[in-house]
Amino acid sequence: MKHTFQQFFRSGKFVFGFSIFVAILLLTFIYPLIIPDPPLEIVAQGTFFEPGIYVSVYDSLGTTPHTLNLDGAAAKRIASKLNEEDRLAMKEWLVAAGIPENEIDTADTQKLLDLWMDNYDPTENIPGMTNARRNYFIRLNNSLKGLLSTEGAIIAEVNPETGTLEQVDVITQTDYVNINQVANVRVLPFGTDNFGRDVLTELVAATRVSLVIGFVSGTIATLIGLTLGLLAGYIGGVVDDIIMFFTNLFTVIPSFVLLILISFSIGQEQRGAVTIAVVIGLTSWFWTARAVRAQVISLRNRDHVNLSKLSGHSIVHIIITDILPYIASYVIMALILQISAGILAEAQLSILGLGPRTTVVPTLGLMMNWALIYQAQILGKWWAYLPVLVTIALITFSMNLMNTGLDQVFNPALRE
Amino acid sequence: MCKKSYAIACLLIVLSLLLAACGEAAPAVTETAAPADTEEPAAPADTEEPAEPVDTEEPAGTEEPADPNALPRDQTLYFNGQQWGAVVGWNPYSNNNNNAMAIAQQDNARVIMFETPYLYNMLDGNMYPLLADGDYTWNEDRTEITFKIKPAAKWSDGTAVTADDVAYTWATHIKYETPTGASNKDYIEDIVAVDPQTVVVKAKLDEEGKAVNPLLVSAYLSTNYVIQKAWTETLEERVGGDATELLADTAEDVVYSGPYGKYFADDTKVVYVRNDDYWGQDASMWGKLPAPKYLAHVIFKDNAAGTTALQAGEVDVSQQFNSNVQELWLDQGLPISTYLPEAPYGIGASLPTAFYNLESYGLDQIAVRKAIAIAVDYPTIIANAMTNQSATFEQVPRSLMNPTDGEQALYDHEAVADLQWVGNDIEGAQQLLDDAGITDTDGDGWREYNGQKLSYIATCPNGWSDWQAAIEVVAAAGKEIGIDITTNFPEWSVYQTVVTKSDAPLPEGYDIFMMWSDGAGPTQPWGRIRHLISSEFVGMASNWNGNWGQYSNPDADALIQAIPGETDPDKLKEMYTELVKIYLTDIPSFTLMYRPQSFHTVNESVWTNFPHEGDGTSPPVPPLDLTDGWSIAGLYNLTLVEQ
Repeated sequence: MKHTFQQFFRSGKFVFGFSIFVAILLLTFIYPLIIPDPPLEIVAQGTFFEPGIYVSVYDSLGTTPHTLNLDGAAAKRIASKLNEEDRLAMKEWLVAAGIPENEIDTADTQKLLDLWMDNYDPTENIPGMTNARRNYFIRLNNSLKGLLSTEGAIIAEVNPETGTLEQVDVITQTDYVNINQVANVRVLPFGTDNFGRDVLTELVAATRVSLVIGFVSGTIATLIGLTLGLLAGYIGGVVDDIIMFFTNLFTVIPSFVLLILISFSIGQEQRGAVTIAVVIGLTSWFWTARAVRAQVISLRNRDHVNLSKLSGHSIVHIIITDILPYIASYVIMALILQISAGILAEAQLSILGLGPRTTVVPTLGLMMNWALIYQAQILGKWWAYLPVLVTIALITFSMNLMNTGLDQVFNPALRE
Repeated sequence: MCKKSYAIACLLIVLSLLLAACGEAAPAVTETAAPADTEEPAAPADTEEPAEPVDTEEPAGTEEPADPNALPRDQTLYFNGQQWGAVVGWNPYSNNNNNAMAIAQQDNARVIMFETPYLYNMLDGNMYPLLADGDYTWNEDRTEITFKIKPAAKWSDGTAVTADDVAYTWATHIKYETPTGASNKDYIEDIVAVDPQTVVVKAKLDEEGKAVNPLLVSAYLSTNYVIQKAWTETLEERVGGDATELLADTAEDVVYSGPYGKYFADDTKVVYVRNDDYWGQDASMWGKLPAPKYLAHVIFKDNAAGTTALQAGEVDVSQQFNSNVQELWLDQGLPISTYLPEAPYGIGASLPTAFYNLESYGLDQIAVRKAIAIAVDYPTIIANAMTNQSATFEQVPRSLMNPTDGEQALYDHEAVADLQWVGNDIEGAQQLLDDAGITDTDGDGWREYNGQKLSYIATCPNGWSDWQAAIEVVAAAGKEIGIDITTNFPEWSVYQTVVTKSDAPLPEGYDIFMMWSDGAGPTQPWGRIRHLISSEFVGMASNWNGNWGQYSNPDADALIQAIPGETDPDKLKEMYTELVKIYLTDIPSFTLMYRPQSFHTVNESVWTNFPHEGDGTSPPVPPLDLTDGWSIAGLYNLTLVEQ
């Protein structure tokens, strides 16, 4: 047995796939130790916050400011609010409002802004302008307020006795805060999802659940397939006919259709992650059964099996000691494929809205389902679905690599 | 053996394919129902009707050489979010046409093809004459309404619309027991034509000789179509007087009075073409024809497909919930806008509401109901589930009224200020429960009432994404205050059957559940209040009206009974205030968000001058997709974008 395991690692492909898989597995165990937040906690008020570092504005007020005199700070500030396109749009509006074109210099921010402030009137109806465009100018106008100011921003507090505002602090334009000194900083490497949950935390938890689903469904499918395959192959005759009748029956029906029908009829109340795993397992054992049967038939009439038979061993004993060890490597490869197929099946089901009950546990498929429902792909919120896709791809990729690696080791035809 | 097994396998495949086909249809149903949840309750049932009769239209389609793929873009206004699945028919008597653009007799009736005597305007609460000439008048006892028909009004076959048509429409509704007849016959005695131009609507009277419900009588004038008498007679002849057949007729030959008629319909697209002889171009009505020659609605697979088409400029008017709609113009810079430039982007009209099952253990206690309601994080519901497309409860304090100014003015804000809550009040909720003696006695972290743990299931239909997200937030609030609330999302087909069965207590699993409330209309806010709290619906076997939590309060019932007959504004305000007080004290249900009557997002790539706040129209054109009630006036204001 030890020798067999050692053989596994002779294949470079297997080792590579195995390392990816172990890395993912380790991540799902280590990450929750470092960041123990519940994965389904709604942290954000709003949907699809971009990935980034979120610094508490309130807490940064309490820190000691550091003065940094950086060149170009003002230019950056202006550029963030007023880009080239905005300048041209302002010119367009001003021209439409009757300002001679040669008086407008879009490169001179000060002049342009003065002209804009003097002339812009949100209520003015410019013929031919769409409402969307009008709204754009209103937003632009609002964002321009105080753009060129060199004064600081005033922090004031309400005096509880008089109810008036009293200045407590001024934040100048050269004040900087060191992030390390701010009490509350939250890194959201993959932003938040439509519920306002931290995508990374959710992703890690979902990976774990999806792996469990894969293991459970893969084990069930392999166990059923193995048992039926062994019985059909070894006993043969009527037993074989009956088993192969059902196996063929299931093979012709696309198992995914079956999966959809069963999940739908179970109803959402009953659909936990484990239930889904069992359903997937129960609908994906056929090809394992067929393949195992084929292997067993080729073993059935070998000399050592016949010897065993002559010695009067029971069927169970013969199957376990004389047949199973010869196909063990094949079964392990089948198991790996079944696990990865189980993970994919859960994702497919969940995307159709037939996966496990929403928001009891996260799964990879559910995360994609909700990203789709809230149109993340249309709105360009890649962080809500891309990390999930990559995770699914990595898991199945690593498992398939392990599988081909094992094939290289155990299949004499492929042995180098 | 082999042959047999193949035969069985084949049979199974066919069966499974059939089932799969049904399975695929199911999500489409929920998607339709989700955006349409403010519409009349019969709507979800409509969408389930098989679209079989569509075949019968094919020959009609080939009669005129209609090419729906060659519509000139600058003469066509494209819609989305209204029509799901193929059109079934064109019969204004029926509720099963699945013809959303043409036929919807509701508070804001859809009037592109069939017309009502009056048009309701949800922005100012007034009714404006369409087929009618001038305002209607009540007689002194408020038992009869009289109105005139415009002399210019004509049918699409060129004959005049007369008072006789109005009377005959009503008579047909009654004779054949149509849904319209059934829902109005308790309030309207008869509609008669005094002369060809004058209609009298007689209200049903109670024992004291007063109208049972004058409000519903006047609302009839803006909610129900006038249908041609001559065509109705043809139809009656065709169906041989059979009521079922009359309702099932696809009415390809229907005569209509509105500006648009059928041009093309199949399972990919519905197109309506302008009737250039439309009577409304007469100076007594619009004085011109509506701007687009064609109204077209591509039948999209789902919301995402509709949104993609809107982004691409292939849809001009979108009646879809586009989550984070502001990103379409902020991030993507598209020429797309909504009625309001900033959040909540539209005018809230209905109040999606969480109902308590008052029979559930512990939920008969006001303290428990109130504690859950005040602990819920409403800002998160509004920001996350509705992506800010709802006013907040700071902006519009909770009552029974929608956020429109007209309704907000109907109650005394000061008088109920102490009862209103904005949510997130965890401490207050815990205090409330502690004071009521509902505490955690066995130390398991959950509170008990009389020794039994408070544990509830909050629910809404599966696939109704914004509701599901909202219900999750409600459940989260329970955990904060020591009440165990878990969520469950059954399929709509199951959910609707359970929730609308009001003649028995609700089963387990429906402790807190979401349903809709009425939007804006001529009977509001009275109709909404009635549907939220009136006990008249308790005991109905199929209750599509409301009060699904089966609340009952005689004081509230008496006020609801009295309001329609009351005309004194001060008295009305007093009564409405009292109702709000009762509602916010007893908390049989609580509003989770405000939702617009219709979503109204427009792309100005081709057409412009859509209704928006401050667009200078008078009376103001409401954001109801240019098809419903007074919003059809917007079709006459559209212009092409100058390129």
